[in-house]
Parts: sequence; C-alpha cells; structure tokens
Amino acid sequence: MMKILISDDEELARDRLRGLLEDVGNIDVVGEAHNGKETLTQCHRLNPDIVLLDIRMPGMDGLETAFHLAALEKPPAVIFTTAYGDHALEAFEANAVDYLLKPIRRQRLQQALEKTHHLNRAQLLALKQDNNENHIRTHICIQSYDSIKLIAVPDIIYFLADQKYVTVRHITGEVLIEEPLVTLEQEFAEKFTRIHRNSLISNYYIKGIEKIQDGTHRVILRNCDSRLTISRRHVAALRKKIREMGK
Amino acid sequence: MQDNLTAALREPRSEDTLFLPDFCNIRIVFAVVMIAQLLAFILVLGPQGNLVDRWINLSLTSLFIQWVALSSIGILCLCRPVMKHWENNFAGIVSYLLVLVVTVALSEIAYVISKDSGLETLLTSTWHTEFVLRNLAISAIISAVALRYFYVQHQLKNNIEAESRARIQALQARIHPHFLFNSMNTIASLTRSQPALAEEVVEDLADLFRVSLTDSDKPVPITKELELSRHYLNIEKLRLGQRLTVQWRLDAIPDDATIPPLMIQPLLENAVYHGIEPLTENGVISITGHKVGNTIEFIITNPVPPHLPKSRRSSNHIAIENIRERLQIHYDKQGKLETTLAGNRFDVRLVIPYSRAE
Repeated sequence: MMKILISDDEELARDRLRGLLEDVGNIDVVGEAHNGKETLTQCHRLNPDIVLLDIRMPGMDGLETAFHLAALEKPPAVIFTTAYGDHALEAFEANAVDYLLKPIRRQRLQQALEKTHHLNRAQLLALKQDNNENHIRTHICIQSYDSIKLIAVPDIIYFLADQKYVTVRHITGEVLIEEPLVTLEQEFAEKFTRIHRNSLISNYYIKGIEKIQDGTHRVILRNCDSRLTISRRHVAALRKKIREMGK
Repeated sequence: MQDNLTAALREPRSEDTLFLPDFCNIRIVFAVVMIAQLLAFILVLGPQGNLVDRWINLSLTSLFIQWVALSSIGILCLCRPVMKHWENNFAGIVSYLLVLVVTVALSEIAYVISKDSGLETLLTSTWHTEFVLRNLAISAIISAVALRYFYVQHQLKNNIEAESRARIQALQARIHPHFLFNSMNTIASLTRSQPALAEEVVEDLADLFRVSLTDSDKPVPITKELELSRHYLNIEKLRLGQRLTVQWRLDAIPDDATIPPLMIQPLLENAVYHGIEPLTENGVISITGHKVGNTIEFIITNPVPPHLPKSRRSSNHIAIENIRERLQIHYDKQGKLETTLAGNRFDVRLVIPYSRAE
C-alpha cells in the first residue's frame, strides 16, 4: 500500500484529492497538510512514499517545500498540483517533473502515481531558477535524527561562520547549519549584509555601530546582546547602509 | 502570454514617438513627389501668360519644386535617427526650419544658375530678393500644412492604438484564468460532497461570466454590481474557508445609483488575490460604502502579507489601471480611484458621481 500525504492550502481541494485517491484504491492517505511547514513536519513524522504538493501556498510555497523535502533522509516522491500554471508548466516539462492540473483527472492521477519519481537537487534547482518567483528561501530547514525545525528568514539576526559550520542566530535561539556563508550571502543579499569574513547580519536588526578601545568597530543588534566585530574594510559600507535605512 | 501581448502593444510607443513619417520610405517619397507636382500645376495655372510660356514655365517650376521637395525629405530622412529622441514640438519646429533653409539655399542656387544660362526671362524676371521671398513664403505655407497633416495623422493612429490597448486590458481584467480554474476545482470537489452547493457555485460563476463577457460598459444599477460582488466573494469564501472574512458596511448607498459594470468586483478580486491568498493567517477584507454630497465613495481594504512573491506584485496594477481608464471615460475627472499602502494594509478608494438610473 502506498502511503500518501496531501498538501494543499484549500480544504475543498484536499477533499477532492482524498476522494480521487479512494477511487484509485490501494492507497493509504496518511495525512493532510495545510501549508509548506506542516508538509515538512508531517513528512518527517509520517514518512509517506508520495507527497501531492500544491505549488501555490501562502508562506512557504510548494517549490520551496519540495526543495527542503529533497534534503530529508528518506525523501518522498513529489507530484506537484496546480490550478493554473502560468510559466511554471514549461519549467516542469523541461525538468521531467510530474505535475497535475486542477481539477485533476483520476486517470492522470493514476498515471502519475504509477511512475512516481524522486526529485533530485539539480532538478529542483533548475525548477527554482526557471520559476524565478522564489529563488530565495523563506525558511531555513534544520533536521536532526529525531526532529525537523524551520526558521523563518525574517527571524534570523545573523549567520556566523566557524570552521565547518555556520551558526544561525535567530530571535529565540541558535542552530548550526552546514552551508557556506558565501552562498547564504548571495541568496539573501537583499536583506543581509556581510560585515566580516565570518559574519553576515540581517539589515533589519542593525541598531548601530560602536567603537571600542583598541579601535575596532562592532555592530549593535536588536533582540540580541552579542556584538559582532566589523572588519575594517566593511565599516564605511555599513555606515552608509545605516544612514540609508534611517531615511 | 497576456503580459507579453500588452508589452508588445506598449513597446512601439516608448521606442519611437516622432510624428513625422519615415521619409526614406519609398511610398512617402512617392507621395511627396506627387504633392510637389500638384503644387507646380497650381502655381502655373495662374491667370497670366500664353500657352507656350506656360509649358516652359511648368517644366521649370516642376524642376525647382521637385528639387526643393526631394532635398528637404532627404535631409529629414537623414535627421530622423537624431530627431526621434526629441519632443514632437521641438522636432516639428526644427524640421520646419530645415525645409525653409533648404528652400532659401536652393532659391539662391537656382537664381545664379538661371542667370548664367539665359533662362532669366522666364524664371527670374523679377528681382532677386522677390524671387527668394516668394519661394520662401510658398514653402512656409505648404510645409506648415504638410507638417500639420502628419501630426494629425499621427494623433489619429495613436488614438486607435490606445483604444485597442484599452480593449485588451479590459479583457485581461475581466477573465482571470486563475480564478476560473480554482472555481472549477471547487465545483469538482463540491459535486461529490455537497451537490446543492456545487449547483449554487455554478450559478454564481455563470452570472459573473455573463457580465464579464458582455461588451457593454453601460452603467448598471449599483445593487446589481454589489450582488455580483457578493456572488464572487461567495465562491472565494467556499474555496478559502476560514481564511477569508468579509465585512460589508454599505448602509448609506442609495438604491437608484448607477455604476459601470465590473468596477467593484475586480477590486475585490485583487484584494483576495494579493491580500488573502498569500497570507499565512486568516484575513479580513472590508468594503465600506457611503454617499458623500453628490458622490458615492467605496473603500476596500485588505491585509498585505509581509513577503509578497514578486510575480504577484507585478500583476497588481492591471485591474486598477483598467478601472481608472474606464472611470476617465465615464466620468472624466469626477471619478477617482486612489490606492494607499500603509504598513500591512492596502486601501483602495473609489469615488464616482451619484447618477440616478433613468
């Protein structure tokens, strides 16, 4: 029996999928998720074989969710669903990703279930680029052997790199991730500023700059007591940024 | 695809707005030669002179006029790449002066040549200055008329283009494919579980499309437009469930007021699409309407999600622009549509004059 998770923000859409899956038979709908975050936690908990994933969902959309899903230890196969594809459809076709158009036909659903495939990272990256809607993640996903955790990007105060790991400091705590600071800097360039070889801070939480006795500058942050050192070559740029934000 | 279409329609306007035609074009050259020749006929058909004189006169006049005309358009043709970046008024004045300069210069040359070759008696029997001034005056009148003609022609073409643009925009604003397919999905789902409700949605959807597919933009009773808006929101409420709450405050709207169709419904559609759908929490759309003096005012408010995807942001203004354009047509300056984004709230204010149904 195939274990399936239904993920859609609309109740009627979920109901219909459930009904269709019952008709197809030999399927166990293990759960329903209303949004991207829930989909991730449910997948972690329930380990479905397949996720029927709506693309347009508020907050974290289907594409980003799929991206995080692919990083799971046992990633489920993903079938995207969408009511109206716009330009997304071409991207899916080009990347051999299965998608279903709503209202979904039972036959098409059956076909898609028969030839489910797992998405690899390269496919997903290509999809994201083609869809140019959401290059940028809205959440950082951290998983350990027994839990999965999502941190909303607006809650992140800074990234601090250390040897192999990057510490993500957010308003309620800290976590470690294994991503190079450079790629984080590129991805979040709009909202974050590099102030040192090893640190990237959120523009939103910048409060000011202080100069300490030995002449080095440090940044003062809101919602956070630690003060990060600003390397000399970044001081002027940061000052300018603060002035611009003040306007 | 529709976005590409509007873009394609808009493109030529921003690229080349010069009212002058392309004088290098062979058809334009032909037209100018014809006009110049007609002018030569008119000049020769004056009252004095015998038949033989007239023939010779015609050939010389034609020669001279064609010379001026072809030189002028030659220069305008060469100048066009520079002039197309200029304001129309300025380009018009410069072209006019260019033609006059060409006329004077060629008159001088013609005078000198004819004097040397003994044609003096025919062409330049008059004084030198008189000859030049006469040519200048004719050229001034004819080129002014010609430039004016090109300008009017250009305006006419612009108007036709603007009209078709407005039509396409109207269509775009009316049939929202996203809404259609979502509603179809709602119906498909309800058909299983609640057939009676499914029937209702089909009826509401039919009403909506009946109105949006008619060509008429004639004002309808305001109650009709509001009923349509309610039908629309009913469908969305079924789809979005708890996520959408609608607050109506419309006590003080006179029943006999009229409004062009689909002025309010698209604003609500915008509010759902940009305000509720991308919102992670539940949201409220409020519609307030009242009569202020001799006008009727509606305010539609929706929440703004903190991180609006780019694709949604870009499509935001099609409906608003479309309604603005139609307000302008119906009420000139008396109709108003203003939008304000204040923090996490988006307000749309629609003002129309209170006009009673006949």
